[in-house]
Amino acid sequence: MPFPPRPIDSTLHGVTDYSVGAALMTGLPKWAGVGGTESARQIRTAGAVHAGYSTLTDYPLGLVKLIPYKAHLALDALGALALAATPFVTGQYKKGRRHWVPHVALCLFELSSLAMSDPTGKGDFHGDIEAVRRANTEDPHRKIHEGPPAVTRVNV
Amino acid sequence: MRANVWSGRNTVQVENVPDPRILNDRDAIVKVTSTAICGSDLHLYDGYIPTMKRGDILGHEFMGEVVETGKGVGNLQVGDRVVVPFPIACGDCWSCRHELYSVCENSNPNAGIAEKMFGHPTAGIFGYSHITGGYAGGQAEYARVPYADVGPIKIEDDLPDDQVLFLSDIFPTGYFGADLCDIEGGEVIAVFGAGPVGQFAIASAILLGAERVIAIDQYEYRLQMARGKAGATDSINFSENPDIVEQLKDMTGGRGPDAVIDAVGMEAAHGHGALHAVDRVKQSTRSESDRGHALRDAILACRPGGIVSVIGVYGGLLDKFPSGAFMNKGLQLRAGQCHVQKYTRPLYERIRDGQIDPSFVVTHRLGLDQAPDGYETFKHKQDECVKVVLTP
Repeated sequence: MPFPPRPIDSTLHGVTDYSVGAALMTGLPKWAGVGGTESARQIRTAGAVHAGYSTLTDYPLGLVKLIPYKAHLALDALGALALAATPFVTGQYKKGRRHWVPHVALCLFELSSLAMSDPTGKGDFHGDIEAVRRANTEDPHRKIHEGPPAVTRVNV
Repeated sequence: MRANVWSGRNTVQVENVPDPRILNDRDAIVKVTSTAICGSDLHLYDGYIPTMKRGDILGHEFMGEVVETGKGVGNLQVGDRVVVPFPIACGDCWSCRHELYSVCENSNPNAGIAEKMFGHPTAGIFGYSHITGGYAGGQAEYARVPYADVGPIKIEDDLPDDQVLFLSDIFPTGYFGADLCDIEGGEVIAVFGAGPVGQFAIASAILLGAERVIAIDQYEYRLQMARGKAGATDSINFSENPDIVEQLKDMTGGRGPDAVIDAVGMEAAHGHGALHAVDRVKQSTRSESDRGHALRDAILACRPGGIVSVIGVYGGLLDKFPSGAFMNKGLQLRAGQCHVQKYTRPLYERIRDGQIDPSFVVTHRLGLDQAPDGYETFKHKQDECVKVVLTP
C-alpha cells in the first residue's frame, strides 16, 4: 500500500464530485445555518461550478471528456482555496463565524479528499506489477495479439 | 499447507493453514496442481458478497491429483487426475436428478441463509462465502472435495492443466450462457463483457453455430482477444461510444441481437456518467447490492421475442430494472449459476476433438504465493491481464 494511501480512484472521485456538488447546490447551506444569505449563494455557486466541470472531465463519470483528470484535480484545489478565501476577500467574515466556517470546512474537506485521490486514477491498486511481470511464465501481449484462433467453427 | 485466504476487503494473504481431512465417506482430498482466480472471486475481494470471514480459503476453479478417498467414493482412485466443478452437488436430490446441480438441495449446510436471500437454498460452492456453505476453496495446496463420487471429472489423457482446468467453471459457464440462447444456426448473439467467462460465451456461441457474435467491453486488449482468439465477428468498445444499445441496433439492421448474454454481473461499468454515479453511490451505501447496467442494456438491446441469458453473478437487489421493455418486447430471461456437472463430459470431448483450446485465456501464470499481486493485477486490468492461473 503506498504512503500516504490514495484509495480514491477516478470513479470514486467522480461519485464524490457529483454528490458533494448536489449537496452544496441544495440543502447544505440551510443545514449550515446560512440559508438566504450571501454565503449560501457562494456555496451554491461553488457546487454548481464543481458539478459543471465534473461533467466535462475525462474520467469514467464525465459526460464530455474535455478536461484531463489531473487538470480536474488542480481545479478542485484552486476552487477549494478560492471558496475558503471568499469570506475574507468580501469582508463578510465580520458578520460572524457562520459566515466563514462553512467555507473553510468545505475547503478542508475538499483538500483531504484530494490528498486521498490517486492522480493516476488507478486508485487503490497496491500490487507489485514488476514482480508479477518477472514471475509470469506467460507473455500476455503475445498470447492476445499473436497466433491462430482458439476455436474452430463446426457445422451444426 | 499454504492457502490463499480472504483477510478483509481488498486483501488476501497466503498463509499456513491446517491440511484438509476426510470428514465424510463421500469426500476425497485433492492435491491441487492448478487453480485460477475467477472474476467472481473479485466480488468477494471487493467486499460485495456478504458472510465472508477472515481466514476463509478462496478459490473455486481447481484441479489436481487425488491423494485420499473416503470409503464411499468408488469411482476415483488415489493418483487419478481430476478437475473439480465449482458447485458441490449430492447427485441424489430432485435438482441433481434433473441436472440442476447448482441448486442442489443437500450440499449447502447454510441453506437457511441462502433461503433468506434467495427464497430457496442453493448449492454449496468452494471458497465462495458462507451463504454457499463456507467450504474451503481450491487456492491452496490441498482441498477437500465433498460428494467426490459425483462432481470431479477424471482426465484420462495427457492434456496439460491449462487446457482442462477451466472445465471447473468458466468454460461450462460460458457454454451454459450460449446454450440458454437456443442457438440453432445463423443467429446474432451479443456478449456483454469480454472477461474470461465472456470469452468462453463467445467461443461457445461460435461452437453452437451462431452466425455473428458481437463482443462488448471497454478494454481494447480484451476485445482483441475476443476477435482474434474466441471467434467474435464484431466488437463494441463502449469507452469510445457509451451508447451500446444504439450501436447494437445499427449493427443488426435496427432489429437488435437475437440473444444477449450478460457475462458482467454485479459490478458493471459503463460510459454513462450520471447513471454510473448513482449506481456506485447506491452500491457503496448498500442501498442496492448490484450495479445492473449491463443487464439493463442487454434487455433494451435484445430484439423483441429474444432471449437474455444472465451468467454474470448477481448477489441481491438492483434498481432501475427495465420491466416495461422486458415485458412489452416479450423477452425471455434465463439465468443461473452453471450446472457444471452437466457440461463437463461433452466439453471435455470438444477439447479432445480439437474444437477449442481453452488455454487461450491464460495471460498470467504465477505461483500460489503471488496470489495477492495476482488479485490486484486482475482486478485493475493491469499488464493486459485476462486470466490468472496459480500453481501451488
